[in-house]
Amino acid sequence: MNLRNLLLATLTLSALQSMSFCGFYVAKADATLFNDRSEVILVRDGQRTIITMSNDFKGNVKDFAMVVPVPTVLQQSDIRIVERNVFTALDAYSSPRLVEYWDDNPCQRWEYAESEVQMDMVTSTGNAKVPAMRDANEKDYGVTIEARYAVGEYDILILGAKESNGLKNWLLENGYKIPNTAHEVLDPYIKSGMKFFVVKVDLQRLQASGYDFLRPIQVRFESEKFMLPIRLGMANSSGVQDMIVYAFTRTGRVECVNYRTVKVPSDKNIPLFAKARFGEFYKDLFAKNWEREGRNAVALEYAWNVTPTWGGMKCDPCVGPPPMPNEFAQAGVDWANDGGGQVFFTRMHVRYGREKFPQDLAFQVTPNTEHFQARYILTHPATGDLTCTAGQDYLEDLFYRRTREMDELYALTGWDLSQERNYMNEVKGKLTPARRNGLEGPYFPSDGPNGNGPNGMLGFVLGLLALLIGAYMLRSRKTASIA
Amino acid sequence: MQALIGTSTRLRSFIQDPRHFQIVFLGGFLTYGVLALGWDSQWMRYATLFGTCVGIQTIFIRWKGIPWSSLKSAVITALGMCLLLQAGSIWTLVFGATVAIAGKFLLRWKGRHIFNPGNLGIAAAVALTGDAWVSPGQWGSGAMLVFLVVASGSIMVLRVGRIDTSVAFLGTFAALVYIRTVWYLGWGADVWWHQLTNGSLLLFTFFMITDPMTTPRSGKARWLWGMGIAVLAFAFSWHFWIHAAPIWALLLGCALNPLIDHLMHGEPFHWVRPAPHAQRTF
Repeated sequence: MNLRNLLLATLTLSALQSMSFCGFYVAKADATLFNDRSEVILVRDGQRTIITMSNDFKGNVKDFAMVVPVPTVLQQSDIRIVERNVFTALDAYSSPRLVEYWDDNPCQRWEYAESEVQMDMVTSTGNAKVPAMRDANEKDYGVTIEARYAVGEYDILILGAKESNGLKNWLLENGYKIPNTAHEVLDPYIKSGMKFFVVKVDLQRLQASGYDFLRPIQVRFESEKFMLPIRLGMANSSGVQDMIVYAFTRTGRVECVNYRTVKVPSDKNIPLFAKARFGEFYKDLFAKNWEREGRNAVALEYAWNVTPTWGGMKCDPCVGPPPMPNEFAQAGVDWANDGGGQVFFTRMHVRYGREKFPQDLAFQVTPNTEHFQARYILTHPATGDLTCTAGQDYLEDLFYRRTREMDELYALTGWDLSQERNYMNEVKGKLTPARRNGLEGPYFPSDGPNGNGPNGMLGFVLGLLALLIGAYMLRSRKTASIA
Repeated sequence: MQALIGTSTRLRSFIQDPRHFQIVFLGGFLTYGVLALGWDSQWMRYATLFGTCVGIQTIFIRWKGIPWSSLKSAVITALGMCLLLQAGSIWTLVFGATVAIAGKFLLRWKGRHIFNPGNLGIAAAVALTGDAWVSPGQWGSGAMLVFLVVASGSIMVLRVGRIDTSVAFLGTFAALVYIRTVWYLGWGADVWWHQLTNGSLLLFTFFMITDPMTTPRSGKARWLWGMGIAVLAFAFSWHFWIHAAPIWALLLGCALNPLIDHLMHGEPFHWVRPAPHAQRTF
């Protein structure tokens, strides 16, 4: 592979439907409550946490409402509105990426080509409705309005509550429809001393702002707890939902401490035809990997030093421009622009559901600065006349390489590849009949892919254990007979 | 026939020393982590820990004139550290492993080392270098892993007679977490179960805290000691929000051992009890 022939055509993976991660959406009518995906920027600096929630709400904005547990009573200065494009920029920069290489023609010298790759946007819709909030007698419910702020287009209340029934009734009285299962998680948050950050949209101020969408809300607080409360968001979620976490620290990677954090499969060679379906490819790869990891792991998609003043390679290939000073400022990475130290960027993708994620996500900042990116490789074949001996040798190698690519694609996604025989046949067609005859052998997997999953090693470990237990029993029997 | 008897004798002498079990089990978990849980195969990291632990132990064996069989303990320490300690630089690992083994020979009280070597090395590397960390989430809470750790751990602690420590620690810790999580906060029992079935916690329970050389000698004292470490670990976890809390709790627990042994007497532990008929092959 020659670097001169390297051309980096990249893709960003589509942003799926984005909704709030930890709030539940509440509805007055019997509209189905459904969150699919949310995006969160998480900045951790010592005991300080800055959380930005994307609020990329696809329904009617007047229906938007959100309840988020927070560890302290936030002051007005702790809450701000940031620009939506910070999420777009961070997503684009850290997305799983496709890289293309071109082979040299061994019969000629250089070929050079360029390509652009288009990306399918995959979206889904969700809906939720919330009525306007009415005043309620807070004393009746043991609910205290600790603070009330108007920030941008949002009306924000910080609620303290004594017990979950009171809070639940207060929300109901104020026109929020609480999912039935919300009750079981409100109580633990109240007893943990959490406050509730309750947000709705003021339509007049939204119109005055000139925006026709909701901008992300950012909150900052000091707390030794470094976590994301996902349980409340599950209250109205059917099945599983996705969350992308863009985390920034001074020292290194962020990892989950109560679930496994695993890298998504990366640096895999895949067939050329996967390019047009790259969005689908990554979605299927992610789903398959999530299954293989037992549906209870956090996927690492990107980890890199993004310090503005750092001279090292920022990505390979770069999917988008690195975060700009304005984006760091918007994200709350306030030390980035004054040369205040390293900025390390971790992107995690969590697909979570009630069954496999009973606990809220707890994180820790580690000194781990090892870089990682989700990267998939396409290699274009050499073009031109390949009839020389070296060219025929090359085609044979290409045939085997494509066999491996097909196997890899099948293992990663489980796609039915029986319609893609032409991918192999076009190589065969260029070989002389004598050479072609030597290339037999199955290349389409006939049974399910056998991932290197947690069950892969099970037989080995169980066998080992059985052996040792046997040895131990043997010894015990001998000891007994001697006695 | 002769060969059969020879094999049988070798097997007997193999299983007489619990350290062999420990090496096999810990080695199995490391293999499981790398192959099944998809850990990075950091061979340099593993080689560094093994090399340093065995190297430092060899120096002390030559210096102090102790038996070569004590190398097995160094291998166990290295395996334990491979399973728990992560670091950015191999020098951090060298430091941690050196502290672990050297601490065994230098931090002594009445002829007995005070700290659990792996525990001391990990704590020193994390606290002093800023380049090391422990990943409590790396094992996950898989049911099969939990079974394997508990099953093999039980064999292990029964062999060394430290089931009391494991039960005292895990029982107290589980009870405290249950009281907090389910009774007080009102989370469902599945949250509690998920907190307890953490692979790191179980490995700690069966393979670290039970080191017979650094647990109190008196049986009663071990019950109290295990419970005390559980209380500390609980407080560190949920009051101070320290991850990998049992590591720090055990460090404090070990520091109290000289006092505990002074107050409550017990039999010293020997890895292999003198057995005139057993032919030593290691």
